[in-house]
Amino acid sequence: MDALLLIPIALPVVGGAALLVSSFREGASVAGRQDSGTGGSGLTASRTAGGQEESRVGLCVYVGMVLGISVILALTLSWTGERELVLFTLLDTIPVYFRIDAVGRLFVTVVSLIWLMSALSAFVYMRHEGKEKRYFGFYLILYGILVASDFAGNLVTLYLFYELTTLASMPLVLHSGKRESVMAALKYLFYSLCGAYGGLFAIFILYRYSDTLTFAAGGTLNMAAAQGHEGILLIAVFAALLGFGAKAGMVPLHAWLPTAHPVAPSPASAVLSAIIVKSGVLAVVRVVFYIVGAEFLRGTWVQQAWMTLALLTVFMGSMLAYREQVFKKRLAYSTVSQVSYIMFGLSLLTADAFTGAMLHVAVHAVVKCGLFLTAGVFVYYFDYTRVEQLTGIGKRMPKTMWCYLLLSLALVGIPPTGGFISKWYLAEGALQSDTGVFAWLGPVVLLISALLTAGYLLPVAMKGFFPGVGAEPESRDEGDKGSGGLAAVPETETKTGASSTSEPDPIQEPALAMLLPLVILAALAVLLGIFPGSLIEYASRIATSVL
Amino acid sequence: MREVMMLIVVLLPIFTGILLPLLSFRSKRAMWIYLEAAVCANSALVCRLLIAAPEKALTVFRFTHDLSITLRLDGPGAVFAGLVAFLWPFAMLYAFEYMEKEENPGPFFLFYTATYGVTLGVALSENILTMYFFFEMLSLVTLPLVMHTRTREAILASRAYLYYMLGGAAFAFIGMIFVLVYGTTSSFVPGGVLDMANILEKKDTLLLVYVLCFGGFSVKTAMWPFSSWLPKASVAPTPVTALLHAVAVVNTGAFAVMRVTYYSFGTGLLKGTWAQRVVMRLVVFTIVYGCSRAVKETHFKRRLAWSTVSNLSYILFGVTLMTPLGMTGALAHLVFHSFMKICSFLCAGAVMHQTDRNYVHELDGLGHRMPRVFLCFTVAALALMGVPGLCGFVSKWHLAKAAVECGEPLAYAGVAALLLSALLTAIYMIGIVVRAFFPKGDFDYSTIEDVREPGWRMLVPLFVFAALIVCFGLRSGPVIKMLEAVAFGAM
Repeated sequence: MDALLLIPIALPVVGGAALLVSSFREGASVAGRQDSGTGGSGLTASRTAGGQEESRVGLCVYVGMVLGISVILALTLSWTGERELVLFTLLDTIPVYFRIDAVGRLFVTVVSLIWLMSALSAFVYMRHEGKEKRYFGFYLILYGILVASDFAGNLVTLYLFYELTTLASMPLVLHSGKRESVMAALKYLFYSLCGAYGGLFAIFILYRYSDTLTFAAGGTLNMAAAQGHEGILLIAVFAALLGFGAKAGMVPLHAWLPTAHPVAPSPASAVLSAIIVKSGVLAVVRVVFYIVGAEFLRGTWVQQAWMTLALLTVFMGSMLAYREQVFKKRLAYSTVSQVSYIMFGLSLLTADAFTGAMLHVAVHAVVKCGLFLTAGVFVYYFDYTRVEQLTGIGKRMPKTMWCYLLLSLALVGIPPTGGFISKWYLAEGALQSDTGVFAWLGPVVLLISALLTAGYLLPVAMKGFFPGVGAEPESRDEGDKGSGGLAAVPETETKTGASSTSEPDPIQEPALAMLLPLVILAALAVLLGIFPGSLIEYASRIATSVL
Repeated sequence: MREVMMLIVVLLPIFTGILLPLLSFRSKRAMWIYLEAAVCANSALVCRLLIAAPEKALTVFRFTHDLSITLRLDGPGAVFAGLVAFLWPFAMLYAFEYMEKEENPGPFFLFYTATYGVTLGVALSENILTMYFFFEMLSLVTLPLVMHTRTREAILASRAYLYYMLGGAAFAFIGMIFVLVYGTTSSFVPGGVLDMANILEKKDTLLLVYVLCFGGFSVKTAMWPFSSWLPKASVAPTPVTALLHAVAVVNTGAFAVMRVTYYSFGTGLLKGTWAQRVVMRLVVFTIVYGCSRAVKETHFKRRLAWSTVSNLSYILFGVTLMTPLGMTGALAHLVFHSFMKICSFLCAGAVMHQTDRNYVHELDGLGHRMPRVFLCFTVAALALMGVPGLCGFVSKWHLAKAAVECGEPLAYAGVAALLLSALLTAIYMIGIVVRAFFPKGDFDYSTIEDVREPGWRMLVPLFVFAALIVCFGLRSGPVIKMLEAVAFGAM
């Protein structure tokens, strides 16, 4: 019993809710901003007075304080010993129950790190989007919910916060309020709910055939009760895989991801792609390794189908990313592909592959957050959304572009970056497994996909640094601005700065708050590869405990 | 003497209603005080009655030695009566504000109040004849309420209402006759009253009769293929749609089905037979059918009415599982669905009352002008979807638990239907919430400048119900324990 556990969950939720209903920035400036939003133009934001700037700083300080305290508390609590907390009984004998274990610790650390980085970038970026109060309100609430789902100690608690994650992240997707983003948000909601209900179906069945829904490494299935009911149990597990896999963007419920992630504001896309998809991974890990048990699935049609779907997603996501020309959409497809690396690692049910999957959770979160924040920089300063517009960008933002390059290399899996380590373990795990054709098909698909990853990420950096002869990004830029649908962009001072760069490429790095997260994330992506020892050890300890 | 209280709670609202045209009130206000006082007093009496819990039956009127109008309080009756007694005062309060705009409040309140007594009569029936009597009365007494606006649409709706109700009653009558002939007694006895020795060779006939009787009573719950009267009846003023067509009338149907299944025919006869499978199939189909129609529907109240069709079939699904757990789930959903649906209907009514907007596509941006109403609506919508932590999840959990425990393939299909319907519920409910709070980017707020929140008499019921949805969702233990005791007593 440790009521302290409640604080990092409740503080951001309460803080966020307070922000949503508060009168923060509710002065003249906000009214102006909201009226302009309602009026449909969103352009009056340019009459920014000093008062607005002041209240914005206030907002940032408030968000930073709440988030900072929560992160510190969450991390200290999770890394200092075993803790558990039974809150109250929700159903029958099932309580809302929190317990910190190894997997939860890993996830909560990743979540906290990404949340800080993205918040930092958002402080600058969200000027451009407006309605910061709503954004940061839900952003804080979402952090609390994610921490809760990482701490969840039984399946019902996890499900509770899984659903809340969906509901609380929806406002981030529809933030801009355009028709396109509202439709995307609804699509996101329905896919996620569809998945969640698949998971719920499994929970109903598992409740009947397992000793308890409290997580225990190795599973809690009651073999005696399950005798003779394997068929329905396997169907239930498969429903859970498909269902929770929806959030992780696994085929066949993946279609929401490339629609929903790009329309969100970039810092939101960063956390959606880096973290929210991982809540699907977490749920799958919990169901498969902590309730059902790997032994029950080994060699069944469910494992076969799961591996097939994961590999299919890996390949398809990379192919679609390769063909995609809208930068953020390309990154979203890349997420589809990369998260299924993790799914594939889990589906092999071997220790090394599981280790690789856990490593890839961390690496992909760091890298994808960094990539989306980079995309955010380009959108914020230049309104560049398409890949070909980025030609020559390396001359203007060399530091940003270097970060991008390092992050890309990490995602491709070039040694000595983090991606190499995780993919190494994934491939090794596949080769060691006795899964027949998948033992070699897996690594082959992973390699092809890595090649495609290089194909869709690196040319951006290459063209960015070496635009080639006769490349005139500026002229194309004007044309795109005229024809493109980027109408509702507030004319901030930075905008005018950007359009004045039509003279020979002056170096114009983004604001420190946007650059710093990129540098940190890029450094981490590389350092994870150079000093992977403790992380590998940690992940393999989890792996041996559950397998 | 405590038994007489049962008669009093049934008759008091009826006489309150009948006296209404005879007393001449100086102002509307006086009439409202009179009505609210009577309804509250009656609810207080029901509360007393539930606490006193008289064991004995009270025979009001006897036709022959076995046919009588008799009242008695038992487990399911207590649950239903308590639910109705809790909801009525709040719905009345809401109705006062709502009816300010409508014409002819007099006859409306006459029948609205009288319905209270009749519904309690159904809940307190001791035998199948009494229940049938009140069941018919309920159809008749609510008919003028559907007709209230006297528009062509309302007349047509009330005609459909009448036909469906009478048709249903006819089938129910067949069931009643068979129970009277083949049963050892006409009373409701847990486990059924059929004389097993007598019916061996007539088993199939009796099963057929059960299916007919099930269909007859479930006309009131709007089970497919008898569902189209309910959306049509939503032309009635919202207090009627909210309280009667989402709670009192439809729950009466579910309650009656529960009675004939567990207390007259008995699960011993029915379980595992083709009759169980037939009714379960109908119910599972209705769960999905109702939701699909709700998704297609663009009229706000009709959409909620289709949602009721689907949700009432959840209750029937629990009943058709024919296990104590199934009955627990059914009772839980009977109670919780009432709160969720009355809350969402009252929100719809508040919107209609304040803005005269009836269609879903007209609701854009209203969440900013009526945040309290739409907050309550959001809570109700999430609960209907079955988000954990709200009461809808609790009843779904118990229904699904019972179905999985039952272990039949058809029951698994039922679980899948529950989840599919939850998804469809999300589509038709969240669509409204998103529209209200996040209108399209270029939405012109000046068109809804003059929209105001409704007055306290509308808001108080909303808040109370929304709060209860959350409370029951977080702390369902005591309620479920009580319902379990009731359900296990029924076996």
